[in-house]
Parts: sequence; structure tokens; C-alpha cells
Amino acid sequence: MYDTIIIGAGMAGMTAAIYASRKRMKYEILAKEFGGQFMISGEILNYPGIVETTGTELSKTMQKQMQVNNIKVKEEYVKQIKKQDNHFIVIGENQQYETKTVIIATGSRPRKLNVPGEKEFTNKGVTYCSICDGPLFSGMDVAVIGGGDSAMEAVDFLKDIASKIYLIVKADKLKGHEYLIENIKSNDKVKIIYNAQTTEIIGSKLVNGLKYKKQGKEKSINVQGVIIEIGRNPSTDFVKGFLKLDKHGHIQIDCQTQTSVPGIYAAGDCASGHEYQYVISAGQGAMALIKAARYLASLKK
Amino acid sequence: MAKVKVFSTPTCPWCTKAKDYFKEKKIEFEAKNVAEDLEARKEMVEKSGQMGVPVIMIDDEVIVGFNKSKIDQLLKLD
Repeated sequence: MYDTIIIGAGMAGMTAAIYASRKRMKYEILAKEFGGQFMISGEILNYPGIVETTGTELSKTMQKQMQVNNIKVKEEYVKQIKKQDNHFIVIGENQQYETKTVIIATGSRPRKLNVPGEKEFTNKGVTYCSICDGPLFSGMDVAVIGGGDSAMEAVDFLKDIASKIYLIVKADKLKGHEYLIENIKSNDKVKIIYNAQTTEIIGSKLVNGLKYKKQGKEKSINVQGVIIEIGRNPSTDFVKGFLKLDKHGHIQIDCQTQTSVPGIYAAGDCASGHEYQYVISAGQGAMALIKAARYLASLKK
Repeated sequence: MAKVKVFSTPTCPWCTKAKDYFKEKKIEFEAKNVAEDLEARKEMVEKSGQMGVPVIMIDDEVIVGFNKSKIDQLLKLD
């Protein structure tokens, strides 16, 4: 019987694992692979104690920290969690784990546009990871879809790579960090199209354009790359019906990271109150583990 | 021995992971930076039909993304 099973190896899950390891708890950290959103992040400029870093750099440091604390991520895809008496069974694709507590830190995945051509041209000009595939668009015209921080960060990353960038925004303004908005508005390479609903991604073998609707009229632009940054969906399907979720599918937690089932905690982007900030995910991961440890102590009484 | 090529961009974390994996398993590979090497980009797009990295070629087999189990299977690792 494990003290805790941590599901997910991004910022929240890794922080929980560091604490679990230092508390000498009997635990496993299960994930399809090490690394969450932070791995594919460009610049990170708002983590206290770190002036400036990148996702790749942070991920390397984290791997070193894993070695120091003897943390090994077990490759496992979790399908379900069940309650049995006063403990839980975590059902993975390879194995089952009996545990007294569970920490869920499964994060989120990019939201899809759900328009014709999107699926067909994924990795053929359509991408959800600007820092991965962005450099492939050097000298090309691209469209970034979205109006928030992630979309603006993608534009910022592409500004020295692409020759022209269209930013397709559904709303009538940009929403996010002021410095990003200023940066983007003052760049000649960037054309912002507001009140535009993307309707189709077109191409033959690879993407060559995009159609959108603005004020009832359909328009099109020629682009070789389409970067989709319209938000994220939490990866919580495996606990649907077992834990209480909010209307967007995030696991409902209280201010102590406890879910609707005592003994189960959730942290990071999969949980309600998420703000897609590394420091929040790390903080919640630590809190979830400490609260789980307190819960364990209360079981022994 | 199988000929391994990794098409990647310098900023792509999954590409770094793929390359680290080959190093760990002591498998020689040719790294192609498709952000700068336009010939390599052309080769990648033509052979794989892909505009997303990493693309890994093991002899004539094309693997899209860091698909560890496919790599293990083709190189008979593990």
C-alpha cells in the first residue's frame, strides 16, 4: 500500500514528488512522460528567485533535481481511480496501485478550433506548439489564432522568424499582459484582425491559407503556417463522475487543494482556480502533498 | 546498423528529448537543424509530408514526434 500516488509529472506533480521524496513517503509518480507545459515554454520571466530562464533550461535543472532526490517517473497512463474501503485503487494501463491518498496533477492540453482542415493539416502547417515548429516557418507568412497571452507569446516568438504574422482575434481586443499587447501592436510585421472567427484551414499537401468570417463576410488570407493558441482543456476525463468538476472540466478543489473526495488532492492546471502559472502549480503541488501527509497522519490516530 | 536521422529545431523540447534518448542508448544519429538548413527542411517535408518536429528517420521508416515505443521497436531496444 502506497502513502500516495502522484499522477502527472509537470510542474505541480514534480513539486509534490520532491516533497514526497524528502518526507521519505512510499509513493510513485505516474505519467506518460516527464515534463509538462513548462517544457515547451519559451522564456520564463516571472518565477521568483529566477531572473530569466527558458522551458528547456528549467526542464534540465528539474531533471538534475530528480536525480538528487531519487525521483523516478513511472511510465503509466492512468485510466481510472476507484475508492475501496478507506483507500484508493489507481488503475493504470500496465498495473494497479493501492494507495491511501492520490494527488492529481495531470495538467491540460491545447483546445482545438474544430474547423474543417484543422485535423487534416495538423503538423502539416497547423501546430499547437509555436516554439517547437515555429522555426520551420522562417520567411513564410503565418497566422496565429487567439487573443490571450499564449497567442501573443507565439507572435512574439515568431516575429524574428516569419515574414508576416496575422493575429486572428475572435474578440474586439487583446486580453493579457500589457507589455505583450504593447509589443505586438507596435510591430509592423503583425497585422491584427479583430472580431474574426476562423472557419476553415485550407491547403493541398501542406497548409496554404485560412478562411475567416468577419461581420458576416467570409474572407481569406494566404499563410503557410497556422498556430492555434485558443486556450486549454484540463486532462480530467479519467475522473469524470468520480470527482466533482467545474463547468469547464477542472477538478473542483478547496483552498487546501482537497477535491470532493477526502484523501484525493488536485494541483496545477487540471484543478479549479488554475491560472496557468508555474509558480501557482508548484505551490499547489507542495500544498497537496503536505495536506495529503496530514491526512495520512489523521488516519493513524 | 540502422541509419538514424533526427530533424529538429533548436527550441523544440521534444527534439532534445529524442536526441538525448539516442545518446543514452549509444545510437549514432545525424542531427539536422531544419530551422537553418533549408535543404534538410525540404528533405523532411518531402519524405514525411510533415511540417512539425521532431521527425525521425530510421533507414526508410519515418517517425513523427518522439515516439519512443516505435523507436524501440525499429532499433530493437529494450
